[in-house]
Amino acid sequence: MKKMLAPALAALSLALPGAGHAQVKIGFINSITGPEAPIGENLTNGVDMAVEDLKKKGVNVQLIKQDDTGKPQVSMSAMEQLATGDEVAAVVGPYTSATANAVAKLANQYKVPQVVPAAAKEEITKQGYDFVFRLNAPAHQYAQSLIDAASELGKPKTIAFIYESTDFGTSVAAAGKDFAQKKGLKIVADEAYQKGAPDYRSTLTKIKAQSPDLVFMVSYVADAILLMRQSREVGLKPQAFLGGGAGFDTAQFESEKDISNLVFSVTQWTPESSPAAQEFADRYLKKYGKKPTYHAACAYASMTIVGEVAQQAGGDRKKIQEALKAGKWNGIMGSVDFRDYEGFTNQNELVMPVVQYQGGKSVTVFPKQLAKKKAVYPFPGWK
Amino acid sequence: MNVFLQSVISGILVGGVYALIGIGLTIIFGVMRVINFAHGDLLMLGMYATWLVFSRLGIDPFVSVAITGPLLFLWGAFLQKTLINRVLNALPQNQILLTIGLGLIMSNSIMLMFTSDYRILTTTYSSSSFSLGGISISEPLLVAFLITAVITAALYWFLLRTDTGQAIRATAQDRDAAQLMGINVQAMSVLAFGIGSALAGVAGALISPTYYIFPQVGSTFTLKAFVIVVLGGMGSVIGATLGGLIIGVTESLSAVYIASGLKELVVFVLFLGLLLFKPSGLLGKTRA
Amino acid sequence: MDRRPLLSRAPRGFSVLGLVLFVAAIAALAAFPSFVKKPYVLHMGVVLFLAIIQGQAWNVIGGYAGQYSVGHAAFFGIGAYVTMMLLELNKTAPWVGIWAAIAAAVLLSLVIGSITFRLRGPYFVLASISVTEIIRLAALHFKDFTRGAEGFLVTEIPTLKIGATEIEFFTKRPFYFAALGLAVVTIIANWAVQHSKLGYYFQAIREDQDAAHSLGINPAFYKNVALAISAAFTAAAGGFYAMFVKFIDPNTVFGLDVSVQFVLICIIGGIGTILGPVIGAMVLVPLSEILRNPKGLVQLGIVSSDSGFVRFIEANLSNAHMLVYGILVVVVILFAPEGVLGVIRRLATRLRRRTPSRGRTEPAATA
Repeated sequence: MKKMLAPALAALSLALPGAGHAQVKIGFINSITGPEAPIGENLTNGVDMAVEDLKKKGVNVQLIKQDDTGKPQVSMSAMEQLATGDEVAAVVGPYTSATANAVAKLANQYKVPQVVPAAAKEEITKQGYDFVFRLNAPAHQYAQSLIDAASELGKPKTIAFIYESTDFGTSVAAAGKDFAQKKGLKIVADEAYQKGAPDYRSTLTKIKAQSPDLVFMVSYVADAILLMRQSREVGLKPQAFLGGGAGFDTAQFESEKDISNLVFSVTQWTPESSPAAQEFADRYLKKYGKKPTYHAACAYASMTIVGEVAQQAGGDRKKIQEALKAGKWNGIMGSVDFRDYEGFTNQNELVMPVVQYQGGKSVTVFPKQLAKKKAVYPFPGWK
Repeated sequence: MNVFLQSVISGILVGGVYALIGIGLTIIFGVMRVINFAHGDLLMLGMYATWLVFSRLGIDPFVSVAITGPLLFLWGAFLQKTLINRVLNALPQNQILLTIGLGLIMSNSIMLMFTSDYRILTTTYSSSSFSLGGISISEPLLVAFLITAVITAALYWFLLRTDTGQAIRATAQDRDAAQLMGINVQAMSVLAFGIGSALAGVAGALISPTYYIFPQVGSTFTLKAFVIVVLGGMGSVIGATLGGLIIGVTESLSAVYIASGLKELVVFVLFLGLLLFKPSGLLGKTRA
Repeated sequence: MDRRPLLSRAPRGFSVLGLVLFVAAIAALAAFPSFVKKPYVLHMGVVLFLAIIQGQAWNVIGGYAGQYSVGHAAFFGIGAYVTMMLLELNKTAPWVGIWAAIAAAVLLSLVIGSITFRLRGPYFVLASISVTEIIRLAALHFKDFTRGAEGFLVTEIPTLKIGATEIEFFTKRPFYFAALGLAVVTIIANWAVQHSKLGYYFQAIREDQDAAHSLGINPAFYKNVALAISAAFTAAAGGFYAMFVKFIDPNTVFGLDVSVQFVLICIIGGIGTILGPVIGAMVLVPLSEILRNPKGLVQLGIVSSDSGFVRFIEANLSNAHMLVYGILVVVVILFAPEGVLGVIRRLATRLRRRTPSRGRTEPAATA
């Protein structure tokens, strides 16, 4: 098989003057099918775009995609195959918290550098794994940014939590509860729900009866819209709705003007953050016909960094790990630097911008250095 | 008190749609004694049909019931005639696996056609509600509830007053005797499966404005439908209606007074308890 | 209406040929890792053995005693959770913890049995599903005890010392042998059950519960015994699964799809026989793996990565493996409800009939 590939490679290197180096094999684990696939698609697009851009820069990446179907055990066997079968130089992914955490253990065991693009679970980079890097901000940042923003904008005293009982939902909510207590907020409701239930009205009514100042919600895609629709129905009216990323950070949610208006959300990335980011967003929109989510941007940035580093290191895993640890990059995600701090290992410290949906458009409102508009606070009530 | 009333009301409204799903299943079970594990997937097909005619043709979900119902009827009748019919006398686990297989085929074909993206139908009334004595009532749910009531009433009339309806009931009561009486039980089975899936499809259309749509949405409803059917007594239409309402209210109340994460669990416990103490269901007749 | 499975005849006697083949197969499989060292191949071997254990375990209650439980995920999950939690929270080695897991599952089976065996037919099926759903939802909700959706990840499996040899569970090899051993034990136990008095009681209950009762066989008691045996092996499979894939959460071990897989392995192979689950596993495991991940074949060196076959599957089916799975189920149920084994027997009978030179008339009662 190598014999068959050799002429093809030679032809490629003739065609592309820059591609003097050999190909680097990079693995990409993602939820291509399964319940998380709709978000996973953004990561795939981001990575594909990165591979194309890398090629233009003369970095020839052979991307080996593996579907984890959103299940940790599948992601682990995918990782094993990438590490021992395909013998990739490095791995980008997987997407979800549970799968990324499961793969991290193996990455460290097999000494394959792994860059986690968009999984929030705190523990992933808190276990002292030298070979595991994370580009996105961990779970506590979601809660911290949102609650910080609310405390700056008003004087909330009580907070209610409603979140789906998945790994992501519980870890963001747990971090949120911790931080709320630190801030002296009283937790008046703590409701985990099974995702996919058609009716949250009774839960929301119960929360309404506590009249909390802040309502903090964590959910994946569609439940976010459902929760807000039913909040409107039952007339839940806190000072602010805080949406903990994910489902509250999608174009679909944004477009539901009736219910998304004035909801706060937190995100890993916005196109507004820099000209480079805006340029990426425009190209992405042109290519895929939809706006990029932060997942796409995180995946793009992760892949770009890994591709460049892997080629410089000649595909050597240990050298890649060292280069990732030592290096610093600037791109669509702003500056990326994998550091050890506050118990984290190889964690990129990212300021998460807080956005507010204003008339069907998300605008960055916090922190001040990133803010484009003033936030509307408190929530004036439903129309 | 307000919280209690609010939960009961929204439970009843949601329960109305559950009832419709349950009625479809109970008719299928009653006539054929087949446990249809693809029932939720039929509902899912109804949702996609609704979404398609809404997004392409701009037809309102509540109006499109007139399209999705007949469509799903034909599809159900086709499934019964070509596939289900062959396992009517097979072992129960084979019937279950066949319908599970059919469900997988339906949900995954839809996934290939429309991807696994979540589809949300946004109508002007998707989150409208009005207040009645401090209790908020969702408009789309109320409309869905009323349509359900009309369909259920029509179904009663059909089963009780028409010859075909009576033939269906006779087949459900005793298949062999019905055959001896000259009833075409084959045709009745096709009809029953058609009606059952049409009802699932209509239920899908009715919840579309307030819920979301994705290929695997069915499984949530399949299990719930079984609970409803057994609760009401397998094969009993009134039982399923009642069962749907009870499940809706139970879920709603347990989310408030026990825990949101436990509302499904409470339903299953209730179900198991009933199976043990009154396996024939609330309104079911004990079968020899 | 005759609702008996086609292959329900009671096994008789002891086949020397069968024993020789069985021992030869074990020897070949035990020697296999000495020749093939690719982790992926050994991984698939483990998955296959696990499926065989699952199928055999379900067979005791579903095949012999005729109680079609669609709730075996309960025992599988308990096995996985008890083994995992003892390891992670109490540092109990899994080969010790698995006994506690088996005990817990047997206990649970007695509770579940006493509840569900009062019911028959579809009611029993639905009850078995509900019990498992209750356990799954409870495991998700009571986070303080089970960690909820976060699940458990194995941090480290201790080194097993047998005499002077130390076995470290780093590679696939020890798992391969452990799974093979467990599969062999399960098969032997299944054979023993089938050929014991117990096995006859089970079959009597399956054929006609009321008649069995009038013969003095207490159906409730023996159904419970069958379920307990089945639960024990299922829990062992669950405990092994937890250690092998190193991660469990309520949805992956208590899910309805897990329960369905137990049934499917038996149905596809042939219900109520020793060979059935083995064949079912041999059909199901490679098929779903090829569809999910055609690159595995490349790794095995069977096809090259640019072959038309791999490209075809990747382009057309890699997103559709569950669709093909569904079609397979429907086809098997409609055209081979007695499983692959049944089809083979049918063909063999037909073949023998055509060759009368053997001078042996195969009784039509094979069916």
